[in-house]
Amino acid sequence: MSDPVRKQLEAHPLVPVVGEIIKIVEETPDVKTFHVTTEHGKPFTPMPGQLAMLSLLPVGEAMFSITTQGEDHLEFSIKKTGMLTDALHEAEVGQKVGIRGPYGNGFPVDFCKGKNMLFIGGGIGLAPVRSMIYHCINNRDEYGKMQIIYGARSPQDLVFKEDLFENWPKVSDCEVNVTVDRGDDRWDGHVGFVPQFIEELGPKPENTVAIICGPPIMIKFTLPIMEKLGFTDEQIITTLEMRMKCGIGKCGRCNIGSCYVCLDGPVFSLAQLKNMPNEY
Amino acid sequence: MMDLTQKMRDKARELLEKEEVKYVIGWEKGTFWYQSPPVFISRPEDVDKLVWDQFCINNLSKYLLDFKHLEGKIALFVKGCDSRGINRLLQDQQVQRDAFIVIGVPCPGMKDPEKAKGLSEDKADQLQLAEKCATCTTPNPVIYDELLGDEVAAAQVDDVERFARVNELEQKDPDEKYDFWKRQYDKCIRCFACRNVCPACNCRECVFDQAEPEWLGKRVVSSENQFFALTRAMHVAGRCIECGECERVCPMGIPIMSLNRKIIKDINNLFGSYDAGMNLEDQPPLGKYDVNDPEEFM
Amino acid sequence: MKILNKQKLKDLLNSLAADATVYAPVKQDGVIRFQAWNGDQEIDLTDNALLPPKDLLFPQTEVMYKYTANGMRAEITEVAATAEKQVIFGMRPCDVKSLSMMDDVFLTKGYEDDYYKSKRENTVIISLGCNEPAPTCFCSSMGVDMTEAEGADVMMFDLGDKLALEAKTEIGENLLASASGLEDGSADKPAGGQCQLKVEPDGLAEKLAKMFEHPYWEELCRKCLGCGACTYLCPTCHCFDIRRKNIGEKGFQFRCWDSCMFSEYTRMAGGHNPRPSKKERVRNRFLHKLQYFPERYGKVACVGCGRCLAKCPVNMDITRIIKELGEVAINE
Ligand code: SF4
Ligand code: SF4
Ligand code: SF4
Ligand code: SF4
Ligand code: FES
Repeated sequence: MSDPVRKQLEAHPLVPVVGEIIKIVEETPDVKTFHVTTEHGKPFTPMPGQLAMLSLLPVGEAMFSITTQGEDHLEFSIKKTGMLTDALHEAEVGQKVGIRGPYGNGFPVDFCKGKNMLFIGGGIGLAPVRSMIYHCINNRDEYGKMQIIYGARSPQDLVFKEDLFENWPKVSDCEVNVTVDRGDDRWDGHVGFVPQFIEELGPKPENTVAIICGPPIMIKFTLPIMEKLGFTDEQIITTLEMRMKCGIGKCGRCNIGSCYVCLDGPVFSLAQLKNMPNEY
Repeated sequence: MMDLTQKMRDKARELLEKEEVKYVIGWEKGTFWYQSPPVFISRPEDVDKLVWDQFCINNLSKYLLDFKHLEGKIALFVKGCDSRGINRLLQDQQVQRDAFIVIGVPCPGMKDPEKAKGLSEDKADQLQLAEKCATCTTPNPVIYDELLGDEVAAAQVDDVERFARVNELEQKDPDEKYDFWKRQYDKCIRCFACRNVCPACNCRECVFDQAEPEWLGKRVVSSENQFFALTRAMHVAGRCIECGECERVCPMGIPIMSLNRKIIKDINNLFGSYDAGMNLEDQPPLGKYDVNDPEEFM
Repeated sequence: MKILNKQKLKDLLNSLAADATVYAPVKQDGVIRFQAWNGDQEIDLTDNALLPPKDLLFPQTEVMYKYTANGMRAEITEVAATAEKQVIFGMRPCDVKSLSMMDDVFLTKGYEDDYYKSKRENTVIISLGCNEPAPTCFCSSMGVDMTEAEGADVMMFDLGDKLALEAKTEIGENLLASASGLEDGSADKPAGGQCQLKVEPDGLAEKLAKMFEHPYWEELCRKCLGCGACTYLCPTCHCFDIRRKNIGEKGFQFRCWDSCMFSEYTRMAGGHNPRPSKKERVRNRFLHKLQYFPERYGKVACVGCGRCLAKCPVNMDITRIIKELGEVAINE
């Protein structure tokens, strides 16, 4: 973490550092990726899967997963869903934003070391997964085979197209499988829902960790298939979304039972989730 | 009253045994002898929880909204004032008349539980009627499917009594009035108990809950509290059935009825005497247009 | 030990107010609340205050920082200053105990909340023991000693027309040494009263861990109005919301109390609500106090002050609920 930023966030954990949007990538009609930095450079160095509170000062603040990071910036891929995200989608390069974090536990990188990595994403759900994919790419020899299975509603709803079709297929021992619910004239890839696609591809559970993020309906139909393929609850890892206000375990809003998603999450194994009240 | 308690239990048992209703909403004994909070009975063997005594002060009509999507019927007991809440919800088209059964209970007036706090039960007889009951004109339910017991005589309450607190406040000059209400609503913690209990506050989404746009700021400061108080008062203007529940439930002891009654008094003066929720035909004066409405302000 | 003739209470408060803001229970417009001593109020030491003094450490509305923003520009112009010294006079042992829960929340688990911390560190507590608990009190069951408030700087007892004050910390000693109206003396510490309500919360958390899906919650929740009275009056409830207010180019971020009993509390931007009905919300309130908080911080988040059951419009009585939860059968 850059020193001035760390000092400020330690003294006032709820007060954001002012940063700036330095690049905006239009992923889909309703998803944009924002590159954010501060005058001190990258505000902090998050672990994959961690979160940050991003704000447009007069509009509001919300928690987003950090999609990935560069040398000097953090990236957030954000879907338009409400007032703040609408306003962010209107923003241009140079827009000042508030940022504080990093929050949450992140993906269990040590637990994953030496294992084959299966990444399953649906829609904007690839955003949190992407941080872990890049972590594995950047530390390629610490992880086994990589397989990325991703689906969206239509070809135009696919996020991170450059990664999916250019960058990731070039990574050594990395298979990328993309599907869409409905194709169009130019789509010559797979058509079908993610759960069925997984079944067709039949990834092997041996020494593998599966990271799954996507809309609840996708998760719901994916889990039984994973079970059929032989994955145990400990091998399946996902992230949860809850409404968050403070991000530091104080405001009480994000609890699921005695667990606070902002501190103890957002990453949980299926085994952990099954031990928690079903209230998310 | 013992006798009516038995009748209530019998009626509830009958309705539940014949499976005519899923729940019967009534009152049961609470933690202290001066409390008879709401109870929801779903099994015939539980009907003996029901009681009818001088502390059945809660208006149960608002609970109908919780069962809007229930398959099957609800039965509920109503006093005179509560029954006007039923008309309120029907007139506002919030509930369907065939979704519930109303069992009316003529009411001798309820005691003030606040005054009973700390007293021992043998002093019960010395307790005064609750203020709202001392000035009640409708002790007998105005809408019901069945009435338990005999009607009671309604007290003759004149407007002087009914509006006593309003008249007193009207004597104050504007600065004194402002000071009075500012101090009262500076106490408000915005718990929304007043709104949540009120049968006239039945909007599907309350303006105070809307975050976008945020009509009511969440800061608990004089200006926002006053905006809240006035907006709510005006939203129930001409529709308030004078059950007094808002004032009873307010933990901070804010005299909300003074505000409601001031508006009732003014509406009566402007548009002719009107009592909300007495029947389904007479529309609230601020909710309808009449060529004879005064329009000096236009 | 120091003795104060109640006639001289004003002198004492005035002298304390010389270098701190003093908050004391004042009855005004029908309710007892802690108010800043201005030299001329009627102090009421009969019943505990309706609102706990938690808002002196965690205000219902609190500005966090100010900013200016215009188009692309944005700048944080001011972060709320550190707190000034304050003395809370007449805080009851249950409310003093509640601070240990507030401290757990705001000062532990990796982050210190600077707004709370600064007020907490600048607060001196003069606690008043209870001789006559209210009918709604059940503090004795919740580990509170009504004659000895752990964490108070000064412990005070009501002797009728006099008050006895005993310093418990160095800060308390210094405070009493410089205060007016006090005489040296001694008095027997009153025995403290008896709570009429009693509960047995031991072991409940373990049982509750198996009761999330129990039909009890469905029955319990029906009468609840979903208001915030119980949580706002509770000295241990600490949930808050963060909002902002803009005035032209300027604006400020503030936090304010929020309640898990409100329907919008957990509603997310897309509309999904993990606690959509009364059942989930009522369940959360009681499980939070009786299971989740114990699991997280090792203590029950209730001090038995009885405010919630005194003021709940539908008599949702936590003592009755604790008893019922202890008795209901569960299928393991
Ligand atoms: S405003 Fe008060 S008195 Fe009028 S109907 Fe509502 S709760 Fe009853
Ligand atoms: S019940 Fe009283 S304190 Fe609560 S919101 Fe209404 S007026 Fe305010
Ligand atoms: S328990 Fe009582 S005070 Fe709490 S929300 Fe429900 S009705 Fe309101
Ligand atoms: S739950 Fe009720 S009794 Fe317990 S501390 Fe809170 S207000 Fe007091
Ligand atoms: S977001 Fe505030 S406690 Fe988790």
